[in-house]
Amino acid sequence: MSEHLKIPQAIADEMVAHCLESRPNEACGVLANEGAALVKVFRMRNASASPLRYSLDPREQLAVYRKLDDEGWDLAGVFHSHTRTEAYPSPTDVRLASEDVPYLIVSLASAAPDIRAFRIRKESWGAEEGEIEELDVTLGD
Amino acid sequence: MSVRVRIPTVFRKYTDQQSLVEVDSGTLSSVVDQLESRYPGIKGQLLSSDGELHRFVNVYVNDEDVRYLGKLETKADDGDEVSLLPSVAGG
Repeated sequence: MSEHLKIPQAIADEMVAHCLESRPNEACGVLANEGAALVKVFRMRNASASPLRYSLDPREQLAVYRKLDDEGWDLAGVFHSHTRTEAYPSPTDVRLASEDVPYLIVSLASAAPDIRAFRIRKESWGAEEGEIEELDVTLGD
Repeated sequence: MSVRVRIPTVFRKYTDQQSLVEVDSGTLSSVVDQLESRYPGIKGQLLSSDGELHRFVNVYVNDEDVRYLGKLETKADDGDEVSLLPSVAGG
């Protein structure tokens, strides 16, 4: 049975809004949870400022991770947009995956944004190859 | 007084899920060795085979990136905070 991820509508809406506002570039950010519930979207800067790449700005990431600890939240996921392709990890997404949390992808390729989530499992942290496992996502409250 | 080390989610499997660890002051290299002695396996995640910081990890002492300081020779004094951050990127 695949892992399940429940995304409250407000969280989904905020991710999508950040992705739409960041066009033509890819958008990125992280999600926080409190217990089992997603509670916060951190809209972050794409340091790569590219329609094809994203990278978190480490200094902003440092501030966000401190905030997570201060609030007693956990890192629940990393999200980014694909502006013209489907919501599925690209080879670059797999190669550069480093966090041990779900990776969410928001596709803006169609009129209705599509959100999917994946685990990218690697033999060792920092390995360039990995297995993609899709999570079962439900939207709504 | 000691040095606080913030452990990101991806490394907490090595630290019994601890998000904050305290070590003695010293160079970053010493901090990494102290972590390794307490949590075997973590050093291999932080350093690459050439003994330098892994290119997927960013390390800050307080608000400064150690790559622009002394890298592994950067000093962490009592009261300082060391943050380990996985580089998060994709396409």
